[in-house]
Amino acid sequence: MRLAAALWRAAILGAGLAAAVASSAQPTAAAKPQRVASINLSADEVLSAILPPGRLVSVTRWADDKGTSNVVGRIPPSVHRFVKADLEQLVALRPDLVVVSEYTDADFLKQLERSGLRFHRMQGISSIEGVRAAILDLGRVVGEDDSARRLVARFDATLAELRRRLAGAKPPRVLYWSSNMTAGADTAIGSLIEAAGGANVGREMGVSGIAPPGAERAFVADPDAVLVGTWPQAREALTEHPLLQKMRAVREGRMVVLPTERIVALSQFTADAAWELAHLLHPDRVPASPPGGSQ
Amino acid sequence: MTEARRRLALPVLGVTLLAALLMATSVGSVSLPFRGVAGALLARAGLPVDAAALGPTGEAILFSVRLPRVLLAALVGGGLAVVGATLQAVFRNPLADAGLLGVGSGAAFGAVLAVNAGLASSVFFALPFAAFAGAMIAVLAVYIIAGASGRASLSGLLLTGIAVSALAGAGTSVLLVATEEFRVKAVLFWLAGGLEGRGWTHVQAGAAFVLTGVALLVLLGRPLDVLSLGEEEAASLGLRVRATRLLLLGLASLVGGACTAVAGAVPFVGLMAPHALRPVVGPLGRRLLPAAFLGGAILVVLADLGARTLSESFELPLGALTAFVGAPYFLLALRANEGR
Repeated sequence: MRLAAALWRAAILGAGLAAAVASSAQPTAAAKPQRVASINLSADEVLSAILPPGRLVSVTRWADDKGTSNVVGRIPPSVHRFVKADLEQLVALRPDLVVVSEYTDADFLKQLERSGLRFHRMQGISSIEGVRAAILDLGRVVGEDDSARRLVARFDATLAELRRRLAGAKPPRVLYWSSNMTAGADTAIGSLIEAAGGANVGREMGVSGIAPPGAERAFVADPDAVLVGTWPQAREALTEHPLLQKMRAVREGRMVVLPTERIVALSQFTADAAWELAHLLHPDRVPASPPGGSQ
Repeated sequence: MTEARRRLALPVLGVTLLAALLMATSVGSVSLPFRGVAGALLARAGLPVDAAALGPTGEAILFSVRLPRVLLAALVGGGLAVVGATLQAVFRNPLADAGLLGVGSGAAFGAVLAVNAGLASSVFFALPFAAFAGAMIAVLAVYIIAGASGRASLSGLLLTGIAVSALAGAGTSVLLVATEEFRVKAVLFWLAGGLEGRGWTHVQAGAAFVLTGVALLVLLGRPLDVLSLGEEEAASLGLRVRATRLLLLGLASLVGGACTAVAGAVPFVGLMAPHALRPVVGPLGRRLLPAAFLGGAILVVLADLGARTLSESFELPLGALTAFVGAPYFLLALRANEGR
């Protein structure tokens, strides 16, 4: 689940396990890949929007998981679903490009190389700008530049309209909270809060990445609102915590609930997520849906 | 190792624990003024003191999380140290701890089961309760299986403990893999050992088991000493060896299970505290057990203080911290022992 992946990011990076060594194979510009296999959810979401039907041969099983994916029901059943990154199944699909994520482990990439499969690694998606660049990158690699640019144009338009509407608004101080973890600087969730016209309390607290700051610090930070996902018991984790239940935002019921798949979106849906969060934080300035509807 | 030193040990440890408790209560990720904390505590105890210095934010922190957490750290540390000292005497091995009897792995299995079933997030106190039940079931299984051959020998108990632990560990792995990922986080925090989010309910439940168990174990100090001479010697001195051993192991499991249930795995405390204090107070149970309780309590109160404050931006797992200190300590002690 991408939420867990996001939560683990800090630990993985901290341990120096991020396999910066493996670089993505550069595609030859000659031929468009005809059989693209995705083994990460971000790519599932982007590719399902920019590839013509038939050229996407696999997605992850998370693509069908409501609460994780923004493309539930949009990918034909004939497309293979990966429950986990399984090299045998992958080879059997005969892809001419495999799209992996920043967090795919280096051992697996080595195996991919040995099997003669070409791969592209989606990188730098821990900020809104990074997501935008990753979409354009992916479009180039699969030979669908124009579709990717159209996707990004919508993305940019949504964010630009949001900035226009939020100009001069006082940013509420928002704390993201999930299993004792918050999102600090250099996180996609942090940049989502900021794009939605909030100030990220995790960043204020000096947290970088996703980390557990401790309830006492969160309490003293006294946020105006707490952002949680729609996962089970998300609100109860606050209302039943001996100290957090006394936090002003919790006492006054200012828990902002955004669908989990929006919070963890690292694709064109990130812009929609920012819009929806902005609507919750600034209902007087931002209507429920972005101009032209969601992606 | 003079008699004077032995007599002084308990009061010195007691005062040190009190100082550690006070320090851990005022120092934290959020610093509370020491005088404010002292004032608020005295006022809460009914003394006519001006308690306004702390302010409502400070008071909320102090009484809803900081104080219960510090007290729980003391209870868990003390309990684990007494369990360690008891098992080391029973097994006549300074390396023995509650893990030998399957307490840790049983508790982990119970906790993961509760999380997997979704009970941990929907029913209050389900996780510690399930962990405690798991620990007790594992220990019971060890006793019953080891005793099935008629006469439970120490080595039989040890080997049965290892086998049952491995079985519970396998079950834990299977359940973890099959657990929805948003739930896994909760159980990982617990497995790493820690006291974040523990409140007064945990203190009450922990205190009921730990204080009762520790008091009974201290009262049983003399039979424990006799038992530590060896089975045959103990029997020849008229001790009912099997019954006494069962009682001691049962109490130790109860205390160890309760500690693990409320704090997760906090390793090495049961080894370090008794080992450090044995040269000071001697090996006799009625002295060593109370000293180990105070020493273990000091150790975990300070370790938890470290867990809360060593990093500016996040909390470290308590169990990892005690292992970081405990493992090198243990290796040094081992070498010193061999050098002798």
